[in-house]
Amino acid sequence: MSLLLYFWLFLKASLFSTSGMGNLPSLHADLPARHWATERQFGEALTIGSISPGPTGLWVISLGYLTGGLRGSLLALLAVLLPPLLILGIERLYRRVQNHPAVEGFVHGLGLAVVGIFLVALFGILASAGINTRSVVILLAAIGLAATKRVPVLGIIGLAGIVGVAWRG
Amino acid sequence: MATLTLLRQAAVEQEQWVTETEFTRFWSLVQLAPGINLLALTTLIGRKVSGAKGVFLALLGLLLPSVGITVLLTAAYTHIQHAPIVQHILSGIIPAIVGVGLVTAWQIARPPLEQSRRLGRSSFLLSLVLIGGSIFAARLGHLPVVVILGGAGGGYALWSLWKHRRAQAAQ
Repeated sequence: MSLLLYFWLFLKASLFSTSGMGNLPSLHADLPARHWATERQFGEALTIGSISPGPTGLWVISLGYLTGGLRGSLLALLAVLLPPLLILGIERLYRRVQNHPAVEGFVHGLGLAVVGIFLVALFGILASAGINTRSVVILLAAIGLAATKRVPVLGIIGLAGIVGVAWRG
Repeated sequence: MATLTLLRQAAVEQEQWVTETEFTRFWSLVQLAPGINLLALTTLIGRKVSGAKGVFLALLGLLLPSVGITVLLTAAYTHIQHAPIVQHILSGIIPAIVGVGLVTAWQIARPPLEQSRRLGRSSFLLSLVLIGGSIFAARLGHLPVVVILGGAGGGYALWSLWKHRRAQAAQ
């Protein structure tokens, strides 16, 4: 495993994402293809990331640890830390170009494509857990609970964990 | 979400480092910054409070506990991951995480979709095509993510420019 490439894949994912789980699609396209991470590890890292405090985007630190040990998590940390610093320059630039139709259009198209790739990545992770009655019921229940916005993610995860033990498929 | 709420309470209400308007402007601006929005927001607030030193201290404060706990939890998990009970728990949690992710995907998709619906049927249709096209390109085409993102962004940018020109010509 080339450490430089490994770091670059994490950095690229962070550079082309604009929200917490937005770095998922890029990493999901790059790491399993090189056999540096499994679908399973993505599911595990996302789970640990949602249990831990702080920004959701830090789930990649867990992915770094699972795939590259402590060194992997440090590289992942560096990769998520650098791109947000660009805001200092972007803030100045954006004040000048924010109303240009091409800029608005680009941001709009980018957001839509992120959604599409995101859906593909989620499907891959679901498939790794097995698609059966049990997983579909849990999936639909989680969608229902999350859509109400009244149940915290941690609560949904807790319930799903209990269902996982009680209902063994 | 909880972190954003707590950060806002501390920065605006308790310490008054930034005004309410500033906070809202910062937050909409960081939506465009690459990477984790909360880190960019923390960077802007840190700079406002005391320049480069503020940026460093603010990021350190945000990351030290959350990264520390994430690493510790992951390390703990690698020790117990082969226990059958852990596998049962996880096989319940993974579909739930995907469900929560789908709701997040919907939340990301809704503002641009609603905005384009207001602009007319062709803009709305193009938005749906871009979502569908990127699913297709990622799943079957195996195109690099950067190409898909750049293509969709570039495509909609051209469309906006063209509409803008046409609107100007009509005036």
